[in-house]
Amino acid sequence: MTRAAAHERRATAEELELLGLLRAGDERAFEELVTEYYGTMIAVALTYVRTRAVAEEVVQEAWLGVLKGLDRFEGRSSLKTWVLRILVNIAKTRGTREARSVPFASLAPEGDEPAVDPERFRGPGDGFPGHWRSYPANWHALPEDVVHGQETLRVALRAIERLPPAQRTVIVMRDIQGCEPEEVCEVLEVSEGNQRVLLHRARSRVRQALEEHLDA
Amino acid sequence: MHESGEHVTCREVVELASDYLERALPADEATLFEQHLNFCDGCLWYLEQIRATVETVGRIREEDVPPETRDKLLTAFRDWKRS
Repeated sequence: MTRAAAHERRATAEELELLGLLRAGDERAFEELVTEYYGTMIAVALTYVRTRAVAEEVVQEAWLGVLKGLDRFEGRSSLKTWVLRILVNIAKTRGTREARSVPFASLAPEGDEPAVDPERFRGPGDGFPGHWRSYPANWHALPEDVVHGQETLRVALRAIERLPPAQRTVIVMRDIQGCEPEEVCEVLEVSEGNQRVLLHRARSRVRQALEEHLDA
Repeated sequence: MHESGEHVTCREVVELASDYLERALPADEATLFEQHLNFCDGCLWYLEQIRATVETVGRIREEDVPPETRDKLLTAFRDWKRS
């Protein structure tokens, strides 16, 4: 409970209009919403449950919960946040049953995790302590199709899959699904600062994986 | 937090890179960050690597809804509509 309810963003005009369509039984509007939120919902579910199959069930169960509550939703939070919170509650229950309960506290970044191996910087005894021993590569000098190729994309995806759950969820929400930082904070109940640390760590680890691939 | 008051080192810059791109650095730290980039190609290239990372991750395709899930949910929606 890191954010006061007073700070929460309410449903937008666009969301209220969508809500009207859903309540009127507009199938297309529902299908579009399911499609739009799908990647985010799977990612958020996987913060709390172990397997893809269970995450898929959690997403389905969440939509049933959304339908059940649709007539009572008052737009005090954004529609997306409301949907994702229903999902989080279900995912947490499932996670507990799976014996992988993730308490709030553990979503916060833990310990110290340098973005770059400290060995790559000059030590206190050297001239220019804290400066690069040797520079990272200039990726602009690489052929365009290497940086933008399919293999590089696969390396990034594999690196994301290997991230600790909270980091993975944040980078998927922000950099793949294009969620706002506030949405991440509201749904995962982390502070703005912690959201940024998780994103920073996730991007740093993915950069490192790309560097290992591109420098090879 | 800085190893020296009036400048940041490369080791500090890499920890600030993502926040810089998010425009989340306080003005004075953003200034120190930019001053550092003016004379350090290593950090400039590092920042470009982070930018390229964000851009690459952004090109990962959003996941499609599996057809069975779509069908199941549409059926649920129709049932809900009737009730």
